[in-house]
Amino acid sequence: MSGSTTSGSRTASEIAAAVAAGRLTAAASVEAALARIAAIDPGVNAFTDVTAGRARARAAEIDAGLASGRIPGPLAGVPFAVKNLFDVAGLPTRAGSKINRDREPAARDGALVRRLEAAGAILVGALNMGEYAYDFTGENAHDGPSRNPHDRERMTGGSSGGSGAAVAAGLVPLALGSDTNGSIRVPASFCGTFGLKPTFGRLSRAGSYPFVASFDHLGPLARSVADLALAYDAMQGEDPDDPWQTPRSIEPATDALARGRTGLRIGVAGGYFARGGEPDCFEAVALAAAALGATRRVEIPEAARARAAAFVITAAEAAGLHHDRLRVRPADYDPAVRDRLIAGTTIPAAWVHRAQRFRSWYRARVLTVFDEVDVILAPCTPCRALRIGQTTMELDGVAVPARPNIGIFTQPISFIGLPVVAVPVRVGGGLPLAVQVIAAPWREDVALRVAGALEAAGVGAAPVAA
Amino acid sequence: MTTPPLPLDDDTAGAVVDAMMPLVGIPMAPEWRETVIASVKATAAAARLVLDFPLDDAVEPAPVFRASADLASAGSASGDPA
Repeated sequence: MSGSTTSGSRTASEIAAAVAAGRLTAAASVEAALARIAAIDPGVNAFTDVTAGRARARAAEIDAGLASGRIPGPLAGVPFAVKNLFDVAGLPTRAGSKINRDREPAARDGALVRRLEAAGAILVGALNMGEYAYDFTGENAHDGPSRNPHDRERMTGGSSGGSGAAVAAGLVPLALGSDTNGSIRVPASFCGTFGLKPTFGRLSRAGSYPFVASFDHLGPLARSVADLALAYDAMQGEDPDDPWQTPRSIEPATDALARGRTGLRIGVAGGYFARGGEPDCFEAVALAAAALGATRRVEIPEAARARAAAFVITAAEAAGLHHDRLRVRPADYDPAVRDRLIAGTTIPAAWVHRAQRFRSWYRARVLTVFDEVDVILAPCTPCRALRIGQTTMELDGVAVPARPNIGIFTQPISFIGLPVVAVPVRVGGGLPLAVQVIAAPWREDVALRVAGALEAAGVGAAPVAA
Repeated sequence: MTTPPLPLDDDTAGAVVDAMMPLVGIPMAPEWRETVIASVKATAAAARLVLDFPLDDAVEPAPVFRASADLASAGSASGDPA
């Protein structure tokens, strides 16, 4: 076992290469991750379940396979963990809730867990999250807040808070999260990791607990762009168990990374995306744009209205999903979630219908922006990680509620399912901040290439928290 | 076409919540009422932005339902521009 493995700084790509070359066993890789989890997780509260037994068994299978000459998978021996809304065989899929702990244990793993393990990765546990994913903070009334590894008194961001914390702390090099309105990109920004929200309908959602059917996406968080691409490629492919998935052939992104940003037209989002945040979030975009030589400004029309429409649809669909439970067990919800769900039951159907019609209009307009550019840069969060428990923040000199406003820049993008890579950019000292690298539908490869170019330029980086 | 009489004040939002809870069958505790009302008002404010935007009747809602069981031939449900 090497020193860099025990420090948690090895990326998934490095671990897989070392295992494939016989320089590291899958067993040693798993033991290093379990040791770091045991030592560090009590302070960051990223894990809700550690699946040590199955991880050790799986590692032994991989090592035995390698010893007998089997070709290693692209993620051979890579420990990973998943937000606890993914089904994990033998565990009730709690989705951050108290109520779901009464469910029967999942009979089998979720689709993306199975695909990563088929590629040689090894599940080591399930991760803390905001209740039922209705969250931008990473706080949880039942499991306690996940804590930002860069400053444990700060939020991880949500709702995939445990995923951001686990990767930033170097507990695992790879984690899965979900993103409905920003729940991969916000923790990536607050915790300083890379994160990929693929195109809506790209990756199977089968075997994951839903939130908002119209907007739910699943995707990876990691500390390098190559790791995002490796995991993303392993998870692609049609799944008849997911009726929302768009039939699409596998379009690998890993091989495209070497092309960098060559030939790509890059614009910076103006208007809505250039105001309403702390100066540092715009400075992060400016640093990324300068590194890429991007000087063109583009306008995403009606982004504020898009966010509002996403807000309405989210509230209505989530309330619909939880209606039965709200009737019989309302007191068992996290209060911060329950009261919004109850409010959601009062929304007129006409509002939701109008919001879904606006979504069509907005999609058509935003897609024309990609006639001008291949990639749009925008801030990810309007601020760095807030203090745990902080309920208000100041934007443009005005005090606003913290929870809904953390996602002001992510919501208008996921609303129409565009692929985005969150790239952590260091602005001055202190806590991280990420930039959104946004591409046209089905062009995750393009977003990853630009993210990779930022990483290669030294502007985007996700070091393990000290 | 007129827009709804929004934004809601606390009394109106409270009346909406009080009227709706028996309809949806949710036993709302009195101490939850204030934050539920605040959330109803926030949603109404968001809805107003959406409702104020003129849309032609020909604009269809974004989600598309396909009757075919053969999803592989159903095409895009999310706006593939290709």
